[in-house]
Amino acid sequence: MRRFRALWVRLKGILSGGRENEEFDAELESHIAMHIEDGVRSGLSPEEARRQAQMRLGGAEQARQAYRERRTLPGLESLLRDIRYALRGFHRNPVFAITAIATLALGIGATTAVFSVVDRILFRSLPYAHDDRLVSVGLTAPIIPEEFMLGGSYYAWRDNQKPFEAFTSETGVDECDLTERNPARLRCASVEANFLPTLGISPILGRNFLPEEDRPNGPKVTLITYGLWSSHFANDPAIVNKLIDIDGSHIRVIGVLPKDFEMPTLQTVDVLVPEALDEAAQRKADPGRVMYAFARLKSGVTIDQARRELQPVFNYSLNLAPAPFRKEVHLMVRSIRDRQVHDVRLVAWLLFGAVLAVLLIACANVASLLMARAAARERELAVRSVLGASRGRLIRQALTETLMLTLAGAAAGSALAAMLLHVFISIAPAGIPFLVNAHLDLRIILFTVLLSIFCGVVFGAFPALTRPRVATLTARSTGPGAHNFLRRCLVVGQIAITLILLSCAALLFRSFRGLQGQNMGLQTQGVLTARIALPRYRYTTAQQQMEFALRAEAALRRLPGVQAVGMSDSVPPGEIHGEQIYNNIAIAGRPRATSGTGGMVTWRSVTPEYFSALDIPILRGSGFIEQERMSNDRSLVISSLLASRMFGEQNPIGQHVQPVPNGPWYTVVGVAANVKNAGLSGADEPELYQLRRSFAGDWNPFTVMVLKTNLSPVAAAPWVRSQIAAIDPTIPVDIETLTQTVNSLADRPRFETALLGFFALCGLLMAVIGLYGVIAFMAAQRTQEIGVRMALGATRSDILRLIAGEGVRLIVLGGVVGLGAALAAAQLLKSLLFHVGAHDPVSFIAVTLLLALVALAATLIPARAAMNTDPMNALRVE
Amino acid sequence: MAEKTDVWQGTLALMVLKTLQAMGPQHGYGLARRIEQTSGDRLQLNYGTLYPALLKLEQEGFIRSRWGVSENNRKAKFYELSKAGQRRVLKAAAEWEQTTEILARFLSPMEES
Repeated sequence: MRRFRALWVRLKGILSGGRENEEFDAELESHIAMHIEDGVRSGLSPEEARRQAQMRLGGAEQARQAYRERRTLPGLESLLRDIRYALRGFHRNPVFAITAIATLALGIGATTAVFSVVDRILFRSLPYAHDDRLVSVGLTAPIIPEEFMLGGSYYAWRDNQKPFEAFTSETGVDECDLTERNPARLRCASVEANFLPTLGISPILGRNFLPEEDRPNGPKVTLITYGLWSSHFANDPAIVNKLIDIDGSHIRVIGVLPKDFEMPTLQTVDVLVPEALDEAAQRKADPGRVMYAFARLKSGVTIDQARRELQPVFNYSLNLAPAPFRKEVHLMVRSIRDRQVHDVRLVAWLLFGAVLAVLLIACANVASLLMARAAARERELAVRSVLGASRGRLIRQALTETLMLTLAGAAAGSALAAMLLHVFISIAPAGIPFLVNAHLDLRIILFTVLLSIFCGVVFGAFPALTRPRVATLTARSTGPGAHNFLRRCLVVGQIAITLILLSCAALLFRSFRGLQGQNMGLQTQGVLTARIALPRYRYTTAQQQMEFALRAEAALRRLPGVQAVGMSDSVPPGEIHGEQIYNNIAIAGRPRATSGTGGMVTWRSVTPEYFSALDIPILRGSGFIEQERMSNDRSLVISSLLASRMFGEQNPIGQHVQPVPNGPWYTVVGVAANVKNAGLSGADEPELYQLRRSFAGDWNPFTVMVLKTNLSPVAAAPWVRSQIAAIDPTIPVDIETLTQTVNSLADRPRFETALLGFFALCGLLMAVIGLYGVIAFMAAQRTQEIGVRMALGATRSDILRLIAGEGVRLIVLGGVVGLGAALAAAQLLKSLLFHVGAHDPVSFIAVTLLLALVALAATLIPARAAMNTDPMNALRVE
Repeated sequence: MAEKTDVWQGTLALMVLKTLQAMGPQHGYGLARRIEQTSGDRLQLNYGTLYPALLKLEQEGFIRSRWGVSENNRKAKFYELSKAGQRRVLKAAAEWEQTTEILARFLSPMEES
């Protein structure tokens, strides 16, 4: 207890300042006086008495020192003194402090924000037990972008595979309707009975599917997601064993999925139902149902091993494929994580690299700043050292300063990171998984802060470690020293890294411009699309589905300002559309192709006004006409790309074509201009348009209405909605302008370009600050030399050349190193670039010029200042 | 709380407290001289170490100080025992006696019993 009291008193002592020390001086004085009086009384001379008194005291100064140390807490007091001293220093040189803190904040902030995003994408753990052993297995073929399985092969694989301890499948996610008092459109995934056990997921309530429920006509059961359980059933545990209505039939809820459940394909789902395939029928089917297979590796088996061991079953499937296509079918085994992030991976690594580069530049800047400061204070340190400051004392002082800067930078950086993350999430395109729930990660903040502390400690405390040279006290000016060499290296490195960042950003920017500026081959202005998906349980027959579409068409045509209403099953450029294999299309009077698939052909089923609604010109022939919708003729319009491929110079009009083997024959009635139909960056595919006639067989529940209007889309959208609601108010309609659709296709490249551009500019800014700092500092150090040179007759331009030459050397060296590295780095970007070579000269030249100009400006400012030095003043400085 | 880590420090503190108990309020110099006298001039204090020791006792709340006037009409700082200090003297003296008694048993020639 007494010790705490003493500690408290001593803590208060720190704050009370010098008054008590004066009091002790008085006490000491009276002590000495009394001692002297005693001495004189006992017969000593006053001088001798004073000497004795001093001696017995052991030196007045030592006594004072001992008293002071007891009065307060010396360690804490000197820390506070260091902090006060550092603050004074920052106040005296605010540019230094602000630059250092801003640089650190930018480095820490940007790194933390990007790391938080990238971490979720690349390194997060999947919500499955032992997710490192889960793989996605299947075939790849041009027709489906991701690996898939077919009913005809899946069961053979499942029975004969060796590398997996469990093998399961799902048959995709479909829209379905919850038809209760509170109806909603849901997403239903159909999965095999062993799907959840294979992934290592158990329901939080109820049980998993039983094998007998996963059979055709088995009991109708479902597992619902946590989200649906909360939103529709108020988290009521009594939901288990209740019946709910999905698509008009009663289905028993047998369990609730965990909160973090997600499909391995990351598709959104609300309910799981058994896929209930007829196994015997599928085994015989060719090709059978499209499925997606997932498996759990036996422990110790690698993915490569699994791929080798699957070769026999793969060969079995290959033999089922039509002979001409076999070369284009491959086996795919990869981790679920790879399947999820395959196309985001490169972007994630790119961001990661960019941010690491920015962090490096920031660290180099801080190091450079601290070193300059240390060099400028070399004399001060020497003086303090000579006056008795221990080396530990000086190091502690340097560390205190560094830590203060770093902590301030870290605080500002964390705030910046939170802001940046917010910005990222708001500008990020939809396709990047998990971005929405990315949050700032404390570990990452800690990591970046530690890194910058490390940087600061190494470069900030290093000068204090070397014993200050006594020579600096007498030298007329401080010499260049080894620090300057290191600083030059840092600047060269910064310029090089900046050049890499800038050139990558420039390449992406050019690619993005190219993407946006290209000719779509269709009109996007004033076009509105309305997507309708009819619920199958209410519109059970194709006849009903067609009637709905025709009524909607008629209603929309009556709207004022609507110039054309076309109907289709999909709309270019980005929507998923029908595709078929080119070599499956037969042309009358010609032999069938026998080798390869010949690539894919886009296929759409449209009404005649589709072309006028999108302003796609018909180049030859009449195209489809309204009257044809009622006729029994089967006609086709083909794109000019397909026309030249099929018929070359021949006239395609009137030719007969059989698009599907053993299907009906069609007559070509028109050639339409090409449109972009494989997204913004994909190569155009040849395209085939089939007339959507007014016969039930040409219709299905999905229709896109394409409206050309001279109204503003904002005004037209509610009218369209109300017209369709007038027919059936329960049908959900998805209305979008085509401009919006096309814009959202460019979201991803826009995001990449914006982020990389941001980092490149940050890097440029910091590199320029670094360069400016080095040159200005060197010029200041050489003030006297400049004075001497001028006194000896050097002209001002000589001085300019002397100082700027130093900067130019650094810029050239950094530029050359950076250009080499940038050319290599650009190779990695290749797959992100559109119509721009990885070594695009325009980008590289522009970037190099930009960097050179900005960097030159940064050297010229201090060089001009040096040029205007008054030689008399320069020589008088000492 | 007994200070056992530093015997010298502990003994000086005890001497100070004991002296203050015997003499009443006293200034630093007088205190030092009195301690030396009491020891029969066998102790020679370093006066420089006395003041930190006094400060420590004051911080711990065993003594109080105030400015006053000495017998020679000189301004001086006087120290006196607090209540806690008085309790402390009794306790520390008892402890010290016990310690010396035990030590004495070790140091005196061993007697066969």
